[in-house]
Amino acid sequence: MHRYKFVLYRPLQFLPVLFGISVITFILVRLIPGDPARVLLGTRATPEAIARIRAQYGLDEPLLAQYFYFLRNLADGEMGRSILYKIDVLKLIATRIEPTLMLVLCSMVLSVLIAVPVAAIAARNHGRLADQVIRIVSTFGIGFPPFWLGLMLIILFSVELAILPVSGYGNTLSEKLAHLVLPSLTVSLSLSTVLARSLRAAMVEGLRSDVATAARARGMPESIVFWRHVLPNSLVPTVNLLAVNIGWLIGGTVVVETVFALPGMGQLLVRAIFSRDYMVVQGVAMVFACATVLINFLADIVTVALDPRVKL
Amino acid sequence: MIAALLKITDLTVVHDDDGGERTLLDAVSLDLAPGEVLGLVGESGSGKSLLCRSLVRLLPSSRLRISGGSITLSGRELTTAPEAEMLAVRGGEIGMIFQNPSSHLDPVMRIGDQISEGIRFHQRLNAKAARAAAVDILAQVGFQDPARHYDSYPHEFSGGMRQRAMIGAALSSNPRILIADEPTTALDVTIQAQILRLLMDIRTRRGLSVILVTHDLGIVAQVCDRIAVMRQGRLVEVGEKRGLLAAPAHAYTRSLIASHPSLPEEDMPAKTEKRQAPGAVPLVDIVKLHVRFATGGLFRRGAVDAIKEVTLRVMPGETVGIVGESGSGKSTLARAVLGLTPVSSGTIRFDGADIASGRAVLATLRRQTAMVFQDPYNALNPHLTVGKMLAEVLRVQGKIETAQIPARCGELLDLVGLGRAFLDRKPRSMSGGQCQRAGIARALAVDPKLIIADECVAALDVTIQAQIVELFRELVERMSLTLIFIAHDLAIVRNLCQRVVVMHRGAIVEEGRSEEVFSRPKHAYTAALIAAIPHIDPDKPLLAPSKMATAQADGVAN
Repeated sequence: MHRYKFVLYRPLQFLPVLFGISVITFILVRLIPGDPARVLLGTRATPEAIARIRAQYGLDEPLLAQYFYFLRNLADGEMGRSILYKIDVLKLIATRIEPTLMLVLCSMVLSVLIAVPVAAIAARNHGRLADQVIRIVSTFGIGFPPFWLGLMLIILFSVELAILPVSGYGNTLSEKLAHLVLPSLTVSLSLSTVLARSLRAAMVEGLRSDVATAARARGMPESIVFWRHVLPNSLVPTVNLLAVNIGWLIGGTVVVETVFALPGMGQLLVRAIFSRDYMVVQGVAMVFACATVLINFLADIVTVALDPRVKL
Repeated sequence: MIAALLKITDLTVVHDDDGGERTLLDAVSLDLAPGEVLGLVGESGSGKSLLCRSLVRLLPSSRLRISGGSITLSGRELTTAPEAEMLAVRGGEIGMIFQNPSSHLDPVMRIGDQISEGIRFHQRLNAKAARAAAVDILAQVGFQDPARHYDSYPHEFSGGMRQRAMIGAALSSNPRILIADEPTTALDVTIQAQILRLLMDIRTRRGLSVILVTHDLGIVAQVCDRIAVMRQGRLVEVGEKRGLLAAPAHAYTRSLIASHPSLPEEDMPAKTEKRQAPGAVPLVDIVKLHVRFATGGLFRRGAVDAIKEVTLRVMPGETVGIVGESGSGKSTLARAVLGLTPVSSGTIRFDGADIASGRAVLATLRRQTAMVFQDPYNALNPHLTVGKMLAEVLRVQGKIETAQIPARCGELLDLVGLGRAFLDRKPRSMSGGQCQRAGIARALAVDPKLIIADECVAALDVTIQAQIVELFRELVERMSLTLIFIAHDLAIVRNLCQRVVVMHRGAIVEEGRSEEVFSRPKHAYTAALIAAIPHIDPDKPLLAPSKMATAQADGVAN
């Protein structure tokens, strides 16, 4: 199992990456124009009150000192206090992480569940009507912005058909899943078009490949040729594409959570940005960045499992 | 005469073009008797492979179709059989192996599973019984530890073992006919001999009929009973091996036989031995060269010696052949001479100057050397016409006036025997041989002292190979070029080079004048290489049992 040894030492490489992430998010957040203390206190606040708030949150210290406090707090498992919610950012994120996590997971699973059969139908009918239709539809799919798609889905399934909730999140698992159907569908309809196009191209190539010819020459029916030989060989590049799109997927949750009023981190981020809640923006950005690193790591493991030639 | 097992009558295959059709197989008629080995020879594009694919109705494009004729297998018509019946024929009655086992084996599936897959489907065995049967087949095709190798993936094996695995997969459902499409073209000569031996063993044990497609008449002469010669989609000649080789009826067959490199050339001008003035400076002087490549990652470091202690001297005007199997370090040596590979220790002098001594020497070196590559299509820029490509080199070199460039381009084409019309052609519209000539013209454009040709005829058909070798011979004589000619094909090197260097595992094991090395090899490895060349004379057997005792030695890579 030496091929999986990277699972042990790869996390060591995350340390410098995480350091970089912390520096970049710290600086980016402070580049946002506007003063959080003024936002918090309103336009008619006295200069003394603003100074007091700035001192309380350490905003009057030099940037380097602020970064040092930030790191020291991080070591204690704290990301500073939210100006708006008055609680620790990490605790705040903990209450919001579940809907986002569920949304990302459901979207990924749903994207694959949509992309694989669609690509399979297109590739196996290469050049015929089904293939053309899928190609045209998926081109439109890439073009449609997710927020518009989300609104259309709400109108169709929640308003017209009234079979799915319009927005929000539930308490029980089944309620939560029902609330997640439309948001994840919105995300995965965009994502699966990208995946399906790449998968289709790989499958068309695979059906013409020497491997497929050799399998046919052994008398294997087309179904075995496809599902046992072409599909496994096509999945490897698609997994990598999915990993590359993780950043886009997580970014997409911001819009989708806003459209569907899902109480997740995306929604939290939007509010934090509008209220200049530095600490929260910084915390959410860090969690998003870490998630991206982690999911790419998982994608590497999947790639190694799918392709015996890959050594990492 | 025994009733034919497979009978092909007037088989015609056409390609549907827009508004018309082209005939690719033209009324081919051929029989195959039980237990017979039929050799199918011809150049690429002659329709050999297409004929084989047609037999199992696996045409490579949907625009191809069988438009006439019949194929009967034990009296059963195959051209009109329903697809479900063909599934049973493929693998179950007619097995196929291909030229390139690396691309035909599924890289993400275990070797054993690729064999048992067919057993499970055709013989309806359960997973356990199919595995046992597959292990048995792996043993039959020469895997020494079949139970363990069942779980290996193709990339873990050498080329020869991959070809054995593919033969195993083709045999998994006990076919009666085996079609082998250039099964050894991608392999080294010694491995080729082992694979041919294996095929003949299996033929005898199972009473298989074999159709062996090859461009190498030597192979056909060694292993086949009958020979069929194809050209431009037609069967030009078919007959018993000895009769056909001794008295070929068709002009094309005669030219195929004449261009076979294993024939000693009678009317060949004696290789001019240029006497070197005493004290002449060698053009290339390699002393104790080592090239070591680092392997492994951060945690487990290692090194592979690609070149070990190589000392070689090439005098101006010499033609030196470097032979050896893949992985023997031939190409690394060539790259090192051109300064394209970092050298671990030792020195390389070009025209007296150490190429490690600075950029200026390296620049001079590259203005006076040129390389010709193996794959003529990939080595030429597909977007440039031949004329633009040559002009670019001439302009960059700056050795002649800009105004003279077009005239010089024309001269270069004359030199390599291409018409001036080729100035406006792009590689896509040229044949492999024409592309290689253009590649040589580009090398000559540098006006080099030294040309290094790395396997530059390996991808070409035999008749084209002979033409390119002849071209090199002429150029060397006319332009006092120094040539380092790298090839795994010993016969070609013997015909072209004055001196030959045999490499094995990164070291030079033998070196000397070609006639001497080939007639009286001193090193056992050289002798084995020479013995493994399939000779076109059927009475000089390749597969003598004593020489094949090492057939099992071809083990797992690494």
